[in-house]
Amino acid sequence: MIEKIYDKLTGETCLKYVHPSGTEIFMLPMENYSSATAQFTAKFGSQDNSFRTVDGEFVKIPDGTAHYLEHKLFESEEKDAFSLFAQTGASCNAGTSFDYTQYYFSCADKFAQNLEILLDFVANPYFTEENVEKERGIIAQEITMYRDNPSWRVFTNLLEALYEKNPVRLDIAGTVESIAQITPKTLYDCYNTFYNPSNMFLCVAGNFDPEDVCRVCEEKLRAGRAFSVETAPFDEPYAVAKKLVRISMPVAKPLFEIGFKRNVVQGMGEIEDYIYFNILFDMIFGESSEFYEKMRENGLLNDEWSVSVFSGRGHLFPTARGESEKPELILEEMQKLIRECKKNPPSKELFERVKKATYGSLVRDFNNVSSVASTLSESALSGVSPFAAINTAASADYNTLLDKLQGLDEENASVSIVDNK
Amino acid sequence: MLYNLIKQKILVVLDFLIVCLFSCLLSFVLHIILSFDLRVLFEEPRFFAFFTKNIWKSAKECVIIIWYSFCAFFIRELIFIFERKQIADGVFFSRITDRRFKANRISVSLFTDFDALPRADCALAAYALSECCALYPDYSKLSAALLDLYDASISTSTYSRWDKRCTEIVGSALDDRYALSGEKLERELALLMCECLFRPKAENGAFDEKVTEMMRAELIDSIDSVINDKSRYAAYRAAKSAFVGEPDELAASGTHEDAEKVTAQSAYAAYREILETARVEIFAAGCSDFADTEEIFAREFSAINRRCSITELGSKPSALKKEPAYVEDEFDMKQAILRMYFKAPELADHEANIFLARILGGMTTSRFFTNIREKQSLCYYCSSLIDRSKRTLTCYAGIEPKNKKRAEQAILKELRDICENGVTEEEILQAKLELKNQYKAIYDSASALAVWYFIQLPYGKFLTPEEFAETLEPVTSERIQNAARMYTLDTVYTLSGKNSEE
Repeated sequence: MIEKIYDKLTGETCLKYVHPSGTEIFMLPMENYSSATAQFTAKFGSQDNSFRTVDGEFVKIPDGTAHYLEHKLFESEEKDAFSLFAQTGASCNAGTSFDYTQYYFSCADKFAQNLEILLDFVANPYFTEENVEKERGIIAQEITMYRDNPSWRVFTNLLEALYEKNPVRLDIAGTVESIAQITPKTLYDCYNTFYNPSNMFLCVAGNFDPEDVCRVCEEKLRAGRAFSVETAPFDEPYAVAKKLVRISMPVAKPLFEIGFKRNVVQGMGEIEDYIYFNILFDMIFGESSEFYEKMRENGLLNDEWSVSVFSGRGHLFPTARGESEKPELILEEMQKLIRECKKNPPSKELFERVKKATYGSLVRDFNNVSSVASTLSESALSGVSPFAAINTAASADYNTLLDKLQGLDEENASVSIVDNK
Repeated sequence: MLYNLIKQKILVVLDFLIVCLFSCLLSFVLHIILSFDLRVLFEEPRFFAFFTKNIWKSAKECVIIIWYSFCAFFIRELIFIFERKQIADGVFFSRITDRRFKANRISVSLFTDFDALPRADCALAAYALSECCALYPDYSKLSAALLDLYDASISTSTYSRWDKRCTEIVGSALDDRYALSGEKLERELALLMCECLFRPKAENGAFDEKVTEMMRAELIDSIDSVINDKSRYAAYRAAKSAFVGEPDELAASGTHEDAEKVTAQSAYAAYREILETARVEIFAAGCSDFADTEEIFAREFSAINRRCSITELGSKPSALKKEPAYVEDEFDMKQAILRMYFKAPELADHEANIFLARILGGMTTSRFFTNIREKQSLCYYCSSLIDRSKRTLTCYAGIEPKNKKRAEQAILKELRDICENGVTEEEILQAKLELKNQYKAIYDSASALAVWYFIQLPYGKFLTPEEFAETLEPVTSERIQNAARMYTLDTVYTLSGKNSEE
């Protein structure tokens, strides 16, 4: 049974289908487009590092396992996935985040054949002592590359500062030491637990026939043992773990990132928080704000400044990043302004302007095939409609924004700094 | 403009109808011939029945033919248009219209001789243009105006392209159809871009002093920040050795010291020189017909006393050194980055060159990926890319410092192998399939389409992605082998880590 979800604002229709295996399938055909993208996602990311296996045993896995598994899934006993996709001309890749692992391809021809390859290789793991060992050097190089990247370091250190127990604080790829402990058994334990079809979803956008998707899914998706994923609970304190994390690396000017920790709500609440805090932070700290203008005039910020909201399963916080000789002062100024805004809220006129801009940028996400597929995947992860964010933005109201502002605890913040060496 | 568009489309429809008419006639004649029975000529009722039956059969088939032709022929024709024209002295306007998109993108690229103007002056001028303008005299006001256009954006940059300096202003905005209150977003975007480009915040032949001061500081930050991104830093340092005496030897924005010397007057003088003498290429891509954009820019450029001297775009191949240069830098980092530059000044077979870069290190089944990453676990990435106008092939990898020599030898070995043995039919087929997929996908992005036509500017002929894909069909292993043989190692650059961290 295919459910049609029509959105008046974008004029788009998303098709939702739940396969008997439990895999949710979201499809958004885009008329007259030339290419298509399919993203097959397992709700398994770097933060899922302690869980009950299918055998009922609770295990703690080395940091970086989800990412390691992503690398290894491309291999098979015969031809690896890259070679199979090379025969159709599709480009394929994968990515691991804190709360999911995603495998995807994009193509302009032979869509059904590519989808078969995608579903096939994800369904058939092949981990041996030899091939797991071979990957260690490659992943160690990837880890080193990220360790040399100050932008990545400033962000991951912020997560470490904000959270004490939440495993989102751990680096996605792990460390050279942690990945040394990964064995084929570790990977199979994770695979059997998290790559259960009911813990996965498929999102497709672009030029394709929905009937092809349903047919290929019927052929390729097999129901796993009825199993509900159970990860180890953690009791994350309300307060930030550290107010400040500071390291030194060769950078021209100190890099910093500030985060305001919040308690997290799931589903529509998460989307609402995401949209409203984006609007709020753009209003008071964004590029058109008086705050930014003043800081630039005083030489405290430059054009590298940006504000956004970072969110995922179990974490959501407004964040600001930039370059400054005085990052701690920037945090103080931000806190001061939030306190002032609570007493004298920003104008409704400003709210309407930023709301319109937020809506505009979300409509533009429906402009190309891969961003549409990503929008579908993000909403599937949050368990909401693909058009939830755009409709929340279009119907955002000023009073709710003021409530969110009052609920923001400006003192519960951390700053991560990469100083110049 | 709109009249021309309608006329163009009516001609397409007429062409189509003529084709349909001939198809119908042909189908009818074929039916008559195939089922002709001499006896019908002597029996009037049978003759009419025979005729009616065949007309009916032909009509049914023609409906199907017309429908399929319509789908194949019309959809692309009616929704996709590429058009190019001159709208002022040295100003060319290219329009790419595709009704599927939800947003529009306009870029104005101003080409000047690379070193005719001081680098840092040009860079600061570019910065100043997107900071504010006379109408919106500070950044927050300009940003507010962009927010009012549903988060439209305007950015500027300056870089080297085809041995020229390209100073560019790019704007993008949602299409009018999605404006909640019926605003004319494309027109407003073009007007706002013109405010920035033609009426900056300046007086008495100088940019505003306060703006200049702020832009100077940010330009210096931007120049210095090259060390923040190690790959970018390695490319920047390697260029000093690989392109000695060429525009790409140094950064397009100049040095920290150059930037310190820029004044409000010198930057403004550079800006005026660019505006008055540059060869201008405007690309408008998206779902609009861009009639307003064309009219606005034509009017603005016509009001300027232009003296454009650049008639052609294009660059010379990069000069090959007599002996390869080996350069090593040390930096505070863990990973080492290797960059190898090969040059082939005489190479003319661009199509074979594309295959060479793909097969060597441009796809997930490439030689580098398979042999250097997967088999030898030497790196996380190892890739190759070509610069068509410079005739260079660049190979680069992120490696463990102790593996520098091994990686360098491995890259040389792969290139040597192609020189000696060519490539396999399977490799050619895989590269062909991947390229075809990628070229088709260009139609799905307005900015990709704009870039596609933009990069063809020096070659005087604009091919659609499909037409270009056709030119790749005849490429053979022998041609790829010949292309590989024309390359000579020019520079080997390594940025090595000192292995220290916090």
